[in-house]
Amino acid sequence: MNLSNFGLDSITLAGPLAARLAACRAAGFSQIMLWARDLAEHPGGIEDAVRVVRSSGLRVTGIQAMRDYEGLDGALHEYKLDIARHLLRVCKAVGAPLLVVSASTSSHATGERELIARDLAKLANSAVPLGVRIGYEAQSWSRHVHAWEQAWEVVDMAAHANLGVVLDSFHMLAGGDEIEGLEDMPSEKIALVQLSDFMLRDLGSAEERIETAGHLRVFPGEGCHSAELSNMLRRLDRSGYRGSYSLEIINDDYRQLPPEIVCARGLRAAKWITDQVLRRSLQVRAYAGRTL
Amino acid sequence: MISAAHRNGADQNMTDTSHDHAGNPLGIAGIEFIEYATTEPLAFGSLIEQMGFVAIARHRSREVTLYRQGGMNIVVNGDKRALPSSAREDMPATVISAIALRVRDADQAYRHAIEMGAWAIETRAGVMELNIPGVHGAGDSILYFVDRVGDFSIYDVDFKPIPGAPQQPPALAGMHFFGVVQSIDEGRQPEWCDFYRQLMHFEVLPEGEFFGAVPKGTLLASPCRSFYLQLIEPPPGAGSLQWEEQLLRVGFGVPDVAAAVRLLEERGIVFTERAAQQANGKGALTRLYKGGVSFELVLSARLPIAEAR
Repeated sequence: MNLSNFGLDSITLAGPLAARLAACRAAGFSQIMLWARDLAEHPGGIEDAVRVVRSSGLRVTGIQAMRDYEGLDGALHEYKLDIARHLLRVCKAVGAPLLVVSASTSSHATGERELIARDLAKLANSAVPLGVRIGYEAQSWSRHVHAWEQAWEVVDMAAHANLGVVLDSFHMLAGGDEIEGLEDMPSEKIALVQLSDFMLRDLGSAEERIETAGHLRVFPGEGCHSAELSNMLRRLDRSGYRGSYSLEIINDDYRQLPPEIVCARGLRAAKWITDQVLRRSLQVRAYAGRTL
Repeated sequence: MISAAHRNGADQNMTDTSHDHAGNPLGIAGIEFIEYATTEPLAFGSLIEQMGFVAIARHRSREVTLYRQGGMNIVVNGDKRALPSSAREDMPATVISAIALRVRDADQAYRHAIEMGAWAIETRAGVMELNIPGVHGAGDSILYFVDRVGDFSIYDVDFKPIPGAPQQPPALAGMHFFGVVQSIDEGRQPEWCDFYRQLMHFEVLPEGEFFGAVPKGTLLASPCRSFYLQLIEPPPGAGSLQWEEQLLRVGFGVPDVAAAVRLLEERGIVFTERAAQQANGKGALTRLYKGGVSFELVLSARLPIAEAR
């Protein structure tokens, strides 16, 4: 694990697109997660946004966020599929290898696993010719799929290599997900790991989770769940996951600070994460060959 | 190319009922035509004439010519709009722009592909005025579904026969469509396999059963077992090489590779020496011609499906 495994999520930083890209690059990050909105809102238009990103020297971790896609039928399904395809084109334009699909919160969406899996496989097929992978993320307030194990269940059911699970530590911690068994999910089915922590020990209600998720996440190592995060990271490392870790810290305080300052905190978090995983492997090595 | 079926001879026993097999719900039954888009239709036309094809008809309104030999049809599209957007004006380019599959019911096959997530092509994007249903495939290519094979020809609507040209020229050296080679990005083999499996019920052949002149990549068999897709990743260490996902070349099946090579060499086709040395009669690869096109011969004993019927 080294710095190239880590990226910041653009939502973590304040400022125009170019300034955020420049700050990430200057801090030493080699990738950044973008939101489709970052590109659409760029004053120079989408083409210029694509040019700015492609000349930034950063690779794009993925594009956020497709919401409320799966489990719909009829015209609603067609509409959402159409929106997802617009986002796939954005991914292709900007060279993003992943589209993050958040599990639906819609009251119109069915909870039937087979239908959810079918819709995800459909989107995975749509994305193949564009060279984009679909990552499915359980959110702690999603309607039917709100824990990583449920996301994995439907992804497994969809049986498509172009579909994987996006793990998000915020939702796993806030939702009280069981993390035992995390290492049993095949590492190639993990499309991305998004990391953040928060400062309160427990978030009882969905309202509290949504409020905290949208305003007061903090970097790993800065929050109340370092032990759990550490455990999670080691399990992922043991599972053989060698993909990207995206630091997705949605925090009002960070959004009013210069991006350079927040990037520096991001670097510190990346080091903290590496230490958690390294400590474990060093421990293993220290015991190796010794009679206990 | 790789072929498990060819080795055990399963496809030689193929009958019409095989189209209705449970593994082939769309009734896929081989390739109806392959379309090339080219900046140099005359030069490319001459090249495929050397390969044994005969120009038999011209499009009524566009710069498009239909070539045929045996059961194979090749559409050569010289319409600039047919080329991928990435093609440069000043560079000669020839690309495989479409594969048309024979199916039992084109509309059913199309609806299945759309239901599974395929992208519909814009109406009238293709060469045919006749509205042939199609979806987007690798790169800028299109997968068409054709069901009117037999008493009514899909070509009748759009093409006028070239006076004096034989309409059913026989195949040279028993040539028939064997498969198409597709380049894929590194590590994307599982994704493309699932794509072809879910859209069209293609089946991945066991790893390592290589066959033909280029023993690498992954081979997918059509559910009718009459043609193959070979997926090839960039060669190791090809970091700076320009590599994009697209249909690369067509493979022609022949019962006797050496005899076919001799015959085609007499007609001016140049084969790569490396392929000739390595293939042991299993296949041969032509040189890369102007515009980036090459062809492959693959040992294949079966009759083309149209002639077997």
